[in-house]
Amino acid sequence: MSGEVIRQLQHGSQHSFFMKQALLMGEKALATGETPVGCILVYNNTVVGYGMNDTNRSMNGTRHAEFIAIEEMLQNYPRSALRKTDLYVTVEPCVMCASALRQYQIQTVYYGCGNDRFGGTGSILSLHSDSSIDPPYPVHGGLFHKEAIMLLRRFYIQENEKAPKPRPKKHRELKTNFDNSHSPILYVK
Amino acid sequence: MDAEELLRGITPLAGDVTAIRTVQETRPLEEFADAYVAEVNVKSASKVIKALDSSFPRDPSQPMNHLRRFAKHNQVPEHLRPALLRDGSSPSQTIFVLISPPLPDTETLQKVLAPFVPENAVSEEGAVPLHPVRIPLQPPMTTVQADTWSKSMWPVVFNPAAPRAMVAPPPHVLSRARELIQPNAGRYLALAQQMAEVAEQSGLGRGVGAVVVDPDLEAEIEIDETDEAGNIRWADAVVAVAGDGRYSRREVGMDDPPQPGTGPNPNIQTYDADREGGPELHALMRVVELISSKRRQDGPVSATGRPCLNYLETYFMAQSDVPVSESHDSSPVPEKYQKTTETAAHAIHKESETEDVPASRIRPRSQGGYLCTDLDVYLTHEPCICCCMGLLLSRFRAVIFPRGGRMVSGGLASEPVVQPVPVETEIEAEAEAETETEGEAAADSAEDKKKGAEPAKSREYYGLHWRKELNWRALGFEFVEERPVAVRAEEGVAFHA
Repeated sequence: MSGEVIRQLQHGSQHSFFMKQALLMGEKALATGETPVGCILVYNNTVVGYGMNDTNRSMNGTRHAEFIAIEEMLQNYPRSALRKTDLYVTVEPCVMCASALRQYQIQTVYYGCGNDRFGGTGSILSLHSDSSIDPPYPVHGGLFHKEAIMLLRRFYIQENEKAPKPRPKKHRELKTNFDNSHSPILYVK
Repeated sequence: MDAEELLRGITPLAGDVTAIRTVQETRPLEEFADAYVAEVNVKSASKVIKALDSSFPRDPSQPMNHLRRFAKHNQVPEHLRPALLRDGSSPSQTIFVLISPPLPDTETLQKVLAPFVPENAVSEEGAVPLHPVRIPLQPPMTTVQADTWSKSMWPVVFNPAAPRAMVAPPPHVLSRARELIQPNAGRYLALAQQMAEVAEQSGLGRGVGAVVVDPDLEAEIEIDETDEAGNIRWADAVVAVAGDGRYSRREVGMDDPPQPGTGPNPNIQTYDADREGGPELHALMRVVELISSKRRQDGPVSATGRPCLNYLETYFMAQSDVPVSESHDSSPVPEKYQKTTETAAHAIHKESETEDVPASRIRPRSQGGYLCTDLDVYLTHEPCICCCMGLLLSRFRAVIFPRGGRMVSGGLASEPVVQPVPVETEIEAEAEAETETEGEAAADSAEDKKKGAEPAKSREYYGLHWRKELNWRALGFEFVEERPVAVRAEEGVAFHA
C-alpha cells in the first residue's frame, strides 16, 4: 500500500479512531500477559465486537483476537451482518484467521503491521484473494504499524513462563528503531 | 445409544497410512543466481578459500554447501569450457574457484584474488578475469538433478541427508510415526466416522468427526486378543472426540440454542455461507476446545455455550473427569517435560498399576498439559485451511484423514491423486457411465481414467502440515482405503470441513 493511502487512512478520522480502538485492545492483551494483538469489528460505523488474543488464559492456541470479536458480535447480530462488517486488527491476520474471515465473508480488513511468521493475507499466504469457495475480501495494511510493532516488541522481550521450556531472554533489549519494513519481527534474539 | 456399545461395534477401516508429501517436495523451488568463476593456482587453493571467507561474509540463511567450491579442468561444464579453458592453462597448474552469492563488488574481489591468479591469466590491463556463471541456490533433491546441474551449471554435490529439514520431516521420524500410526489408524478413523454420523443425525452439524489420540497412552495398551468381542481397550488412548457443530449456535432472536433433532439438518444439502456457523464450530476446533477445557480444569466456554453436543463427546470427556492423584506424583510437571530418565509412559503405567485413582487422559495445565502437544488427530475429512492452521497452532504431532475425505476447500493435500491408468478404453468407460445407475460415480471414474489423475474440481494444494515458512509443523498422513470409496467427499457439496 502506498504511503499516500496510509496517510489518508491514518488521518481520516474514522479509520484512525477505529485502529486506535484495536490498539487499545492490544494494550489490554499485553497487560494480561497475552500476545498483544487486538481487534475490533465495525458494522454501520459502530463497534460491534472487541477482541484480544486469549490463548494463554484459555490454554487454547486457536483463541485469537478475531475469533473473540466475532463471537461477541454474533451474540447480537446475525451471521449475515459480517458481510457488511470491517475488521481493524493491529497485526495482519494469521493463516487461520485469514481463512476464518473469508468463511465469515468479512467486508474489508485493515491491519497495522505484517506478520512474517503466520500472515495469511499477503505475508505467507494470500488467503484473502486465492481461489476458494467464498468470495475474496480486500485488505489494507500499514495503519499505525509502528504502534503495532512496538506492542509486539514489548511483549517478545518478556519470557514465556507458560511454555514447557521457557527460553531465557535476559539479554534482549527493546528496540525502538524502524526501517521501512512493516514487519514486527525485528526484536533482538 | 450407549457409547461403549458403539465402540464394541466398530469395524476398523482397511487401508494404508501414507505420508502427505510437502509442497516443498511436490513443487520444489528452483532458484538460480549469478556467481563468478576465477582461475587460480592449484597450489594456492586453500589460501584462496581463507582469503575469500575472511574478506566476504557468507549468508547463513543461504547455505551453499551443495556447490563445489572448486572445479578441476575436467569438471568444468561443457558450456563454460570455451570461456574458461584458455590456451596456456594447464590442469596441473590451475583450478577454478566459485564465488557464490552474496556477491562482493568486482574490484574488491579482484584485489583479494590477485595474489593467487597465474600471471598468464591476467588481462592486459592487469585485471583478474571473473567469468559469470549461473548456480542453483537450493541443494539438489535427487542424484539426477545433481547430475543435470553439474553438467549445465556448475558441479554440485548430492547429499541425501543434508538440508531437507525445511523441505520435509526427517525420513526416520516420518517412517517411525507411520509405523506406530498404521496399526490402529483404521479403528480411530472408523470411530471418527461414527462421530460424524452422530453429529449429522443430531442436526447440529455436518457429518464430520475428529478423534484425538495420545500416542503415549496408545503405547501402554495391551490388547487381550482372546477377548475379541468385548474388547474396547484400544479406545483408552482416545483423549477426546468431537463432531461438527456448525448449526448449534444460538442465533440472534433465539431463546435457547438449537437442540438435537432426529435427523440431518436440511442445510447440509447446499453451501450457504450465512448458515455455516463458522470454523470454531468445526470438528477440529471443537475437539481442541474440549481438550483445552480439561487443561484449564473448568467447563469449556464454547461458541455454543455448551461443552458437549452428544453422548459420544460426553463419554470421552468423562474419562478425563477423574481427579488426578497427587500422592504418587510429587512433581506437578509430568515426566515428559522433566529432564529425568523416567518416561511419561512409564509414569502412566505406574499409576494404572496402583489402581488408586485412575489418571486423567488429559493432563490439566497444573500437571504440565500444554495445548495439544504430542497428540495425534484423526479426521473424517481433510480440514479447511482455518482448521489446518488451528491444528498447527495447537501443536498436534500428527494429523491423519482418509483419502476419500479430501475436500476442494482442504488445506493439507499437496498434489492431486494420481490413479493408475486402467486397461479399459475411453469409449467403453463412457458407455458404462451412461448406462449404469450409479451414473455419477462411474462418470467420475471415467474422467479419472481419461486423465489418469483426479482433477474433478479445481482446488489449491496448500500442504499446510509442513510448510517451511510457518514456524510450527505437523506430520501429515492420508489413509488410503483398501476398497475404493463409493462417494468421495471432494465430489459432494463443497463446504469447509
